[in-house]
Amino acid sequence: MQQFEYASPASLNEALSLLGSKWGETDVLAGGTDQISLMKEYLHTPKRVVNIKGIKELHGVHHSPQGMRIGATTTFDELAMDKALAAEYPSLVTAVLGIASPQIRNMGTAGGDLCQRPRCWYFRGGYGVLALQDGKSLVPNGQNEFHAIFGGGPAYFVSPSSLGPALIALNAQVKLVSASGSRMVPVGKFFVSPQNDQSREIALMPNEILTEIVVPPARGVKNTTYEVRHKDALDWPLATASVALTMKGSSVGSARIVLGHVAPTPWVATQAEQALTGKSLSDDVIAQAADAAVADAKPLSQNVYKVQLAKVAVKRALMEAAGRA
Amino acid sequence: MATTTITKTEKLVGKAMRRQEDPRLITGSATYVDDIQMPGMLHACILRSPHGAANIKSVDIAAALAHPGVAAVYVGKDTEKVGPVPCGASLPGLRVPHHYVLAIDRVYFIGHPVAVVVATDKYIARDAVDLIEVEYETLQAVTDPEKAIGPGAPPVHPEWPDNVAFNYHQEGGDVDTAFAQAEVVVKQRITSQRLIPSSMETRGVVADYNTGDKALTIWSSTQIPHLMRTLVAQMLGAPEHKVRVVTPEVGGGFGSKLNVYAEEALMGFVAMKLGQPVKWIESRRENCMCTIHGRGHVDYFEVAAKKDGTILGIKLKLIQDLGAYHQLLTPAIPTLSVLMMPGLYRCQNVRADIVGAFTNAVPTDAYRGAGRPEATHGIERMVDILAAELKMDPAEIRLKNFIHNDEFPYATGTGLSYDSGNYAAPLHKAMDLIDYHNLREEQRQARSQGRLMGIGLSTYGEICAFGPSPATPAGGWESATVKIEPSGMVTVMTGSSPHGQGEETTFAQITADELGVGIDDVIVLHGDTAIVQYGIGTFGSRGTAVGGTAVYFALQELKKKIKKYGAMLLESEEVSFSDGVCVDHKTGKSVTLAEIAGASHRAMKLPPGTQPGMVETYFWEPPNFAFPFGAHAVVTEVNRETGDIEIKRYVAVDDCGNIINPLIVAGQVHGGVVQGLGQALWEQAVYDDNGQLITGEFMDYAIPRASMIPWIETEHTVTPSPVNPLGVKGVGEAGTIGCSPAVVNSVVDALSTLGVRHIDMPMTPEKIWNLMEGARA
Ligand SMILES: Cc1cc2nc3c(=O)[nH]c(=O)nc-3n(C[C@H](O)[C@H](O)[C@H](O)COP(=O)(O)OP(=O)(O)OC[C@H]3O[C@@H](n4cnc5c(N)ncnc54)[C@H](O)[C@@H]3O)c2cc1C
Repeated sequence: MQQFEYASPASLNEALSLLGSKWGETDVLAGGTDQISLMKEYLHTPKRVVNIKGIKELHGVHHSPQGMRIGATTTFDELAMDKALAAEYPSLVTAVLGIASPQIRNMGTAGGDLCQRPRCWYFRGGYGVLALQDGKSLVPNGQNEFHAIFGGGPAYFVSPSSLGPALIALNAQVKLVSASGSRMVPVGKFFVSPQNDQSREIALMPNEILTEIVVPPARGVKNTTYEVRHKDALDWPLATASVALTMKGSSVGSARIVLGHVAPTPWVATQAEQALTGKSLSDDVIAQAADAAVADAKPLSQNVYKVQLAKVAVKRALMEAAGRA
Repeated sequence: MATTTITKTEKLVGKAMRRQEDPRLITGSATYVDDIQMPGMLHACILRSPHGAANIKSVDIAAALAHPGVAAVYVGKDTEKVGPVPCGASLPGLRVPHHYVLAIDRVYFIGHPVAVVVATDKYIARDAVDLIEVEYETLQAVTDPEKAIGPGAPPVHPEWPDNVAFNYHQEGGDVDTAFAQAEVVVKQRITSQRLIPSSMETRGVVADYNTGDKALTIWSSTQIPHLMRTLVAQMLGAPEHKVRVVTPEVGGGFGSKLNVYAEEALMGFVAMKLGQPVKWIESRRENCMCTIHGRGHVDYFEVAAKKDGTILGIKLKLIQDLGAYHQLLTPAIPTLSVLMMPGLYRCQNVRADIVGAFTNAVPTDAYRGAGRPEATHGIERMVDILAAELKMDPAEIRLKNFIHNDEFPYATGTGLSYDSGNYAAPLHKAMDLIDYHNLREEQRQARSQGRLMGIGLSTYGEICAFGPSPATPAGGWESATVKIEPSGMVTVMTGSSPHGQGEETTFAQITADELGVGIDDVIVLHGDTAIVQYGIGTFGSRGTAVGGTAVYFALQELKKKIKKYGAMLLESEEVSFSDGVCVDHKTGKSVTLAEIAGASHRAMKLPPGTQPGMVETYFWEPPNFAFPFGAHAVVTEVNRETGDIEIKRYVAVDDCGNIINPLIVAGQVHGGVVQGLGQALWEQAVYDDNGQLITGEFMDYAIPRASMIPWIETEHTVTPSPVNPLGVKGVGEAGTIGCSPAVVNSVVDALSTLGVRHIDMPMTPEKIWNLMEGARA
């Protein structure tokens, strides 16, 4: 780990004033479950680290008729313990509970989950977000069993965030604040697939802090998440699906289906959504939606299997939404 | 002199007792290497090669040396005269590359040590490592052992372009005739993948040199303190009697610490150079990269048989991935596989050819089971393949081929003498426990519903209790000293070096029974060459069978002396000693052990020809190995959608001879099975074509976690070993050895309806799903 200057401000304004204008100068520290390892592995070598956990206004879950606001530094464990959240947003709770171990859930934060860096082993090995060696991506001919099956190129990592897909299915937004102002960004637009080696995989600017997540009400919306994991705890899922269905009688009025861990961003399965609209949730319809979800998948040399898992995730999330899990 | 009535104390051998060592382990009061603090202690960090193969053009240490807090930086040239890192195994024609403690002009595997930085704290040392500039010229690497010995592979060591470290041939019986007469021959390529032993505590060394005494003390997390002392003294050119090795608490080894590593000598070198203590603690990444790996086999098996299932002959071509160097036992490990290749079966016609392949990878060496899991996996897979070919039940074919109870000691085609056995007993017990016959019916029903349910058996044998000295590189005996202090309290000093096997408890149980004292009246010391007489160490399931037997014999010697003192004190011709009391049965007078111990130390009077004090030392040379065996039975179900494997039942019945502590035996079996499951289902050390270790941390190297482990049902049969008076055989590795074939056999059985005949490990869900897809296509 390289030496750095450390600040632990008590107010958001002070924190914002400490941020730099270029990536690499200053890093925000929340739970540290990713940040510390990035620094230990010399992937991030900030000159200054700004701890935001001392800022009270960034913490806690607030419910109101307009929905729910999740402060950026709210921990996974706090989210999991929130009964009102569990009642209204089961898809979010499933995603939260799937994350890592109790220790990580005690430390890791909601904001950190959205901002965590890719888990691609080439990225973690120092080859950057595009996994470049001599200007070429190492992924297509390399060890790509855990890489993208959608939206690959030039980046092939998969978005590591478990909360991202659930939040997108629920039409959530994030609030990004800088010293000069603030903006609301739909979570679906927060994640971006970097086009060059220097850019980030999120819309956050280096001088911004993600302060809160705003989730619209979901009463009456059937929302579920299904995660395919092979090693209990301590690892990211291989594929997930988060669904949010607004029902019209016994048929689906509108559907949101978002896949996780299959593309450089959470991946909206538009064709699957269409396959459901206006239909009842029969086994056949669910199977068709699952097929449609992966119809456009472009697996790499070693990850055809992930296509199957994404399909299974969609199917099982829908079965659960239909009450037949 | 008391004339007490004799109360018989409870016998402890055979009793399930909690471990004496556990209170300190679970309350955090144990001392590991990293807990050692010394005044003026420096900290070392090692710069390691980021390349699988490269020439070192230059190393510039100026910036690192100038870094505040750095005491010294050493590179290969500085340590040229240290070492080499020793290989204790010898085979005819073995090529042994000179293994410098720091690379000189070429690196051979990722993680190869290049320089060491010594600084006032570990963070400074780590930072300064980054300031060393090394210019590398990268070379083509080869990490696949079959490619390495194939045409056109880059040479790992330029002096041996074929990458062959040795060829080894062993043959028994008449293999050609067996195969000529066979009615059926089955063949299969079977791999046992590279594994990372992953002990909970990584390696670590503290070295301290007393410049006045010219004496070096090394604390190291090792399984073999005495051997290390001899070998490190040699590496450093230091007189052995002025080197002391201490093993504090050792947080697991599994064979990976049955070794002498570059860092042990390197820290000795640093301490001697600087005259200050120095500590080096291996990081987890270093542990994955630079501590030996296990397994690394590619096996080509052929089994010849009659139509009725009788096995006639076995051929094996074994390619061993050695890595870039030989560590202590590297080339010997596959020869153990060959010794055990017939398993429990009556087959004299065996032929094996080993090719030892150099690769640009960290050396392989002993890892829990060391050669025997590979052998067992091979033969137990082959027997199942043969059974499938002949449409026989896997239990039936085993029962048909087992060595019979009246054939022991049994001379194998590979030159061993199996000590004792009753091989059908654990198999029957396992089948009863798991309800084998009803399970087969359940399986038929499951299949008719389209479910993929499998039942797998393995019946394993292992070679343990290493071993007669002529068959081991550095002596196969073990030593024990038992002393009774003036108060009657008992101290046992064993040459074994327990590090999780519970011998502080089992040896105390043996001692307590022999001397008639309580378990808390006994303390077992080990792992300090300044305290304990020379010993060999703990590995190869030898601790109790060899080390425990040495304790037993030392106790018999001591009892002779106790009786002499007892007779003297009771003024009697003949006394008996049991339950802690010497009794003259004629007079009914008795004297206690404590009284005898006190008298022997005060020495007012000595029995004729007897020395004062109460100490005996015994070095026990075992006449043979011991051969435990057992049976595992596993029920699995494969998920059709994802390829996930669920273990529904796991039954392990082992026969390790007499059992001293059933609780510890169960614990050893559990731990062993968990590591076997790791190999069967999840673990694999993966190098890419450039020699990069892709699975270099626990994020990518999938050791099992508690939540992934099924309930393990354990049972035993007891067939005492005639090799030692305790009748014990060894159990440390049994779980691992029996496990992997049982699990693979079970999953292959589940998928057999799809035409699957063999699956290589680890059986990841992806692999399983691809197999199912292949079958569908
Ligand atoms: C073993 C393991 C398993 C895991 N499994 C999963 C999993 O299954 N699913 C999953 O989603 N995650 C998983 N994670 C990742 C974990 O969820 C993230 O590490 C965690 O969410 C990061 O949150 P944090 O508060 O610790 O952030 P930190 O580590 O402090 O920060 C992470 C990054 O986000 C930036 N950052 C943090 N908060 C803000 C903010 N408010 N504004 C701007 N930037 C910010 C930091 O600068 C840093 O770059 C796993 C992690 C581990 C170690």
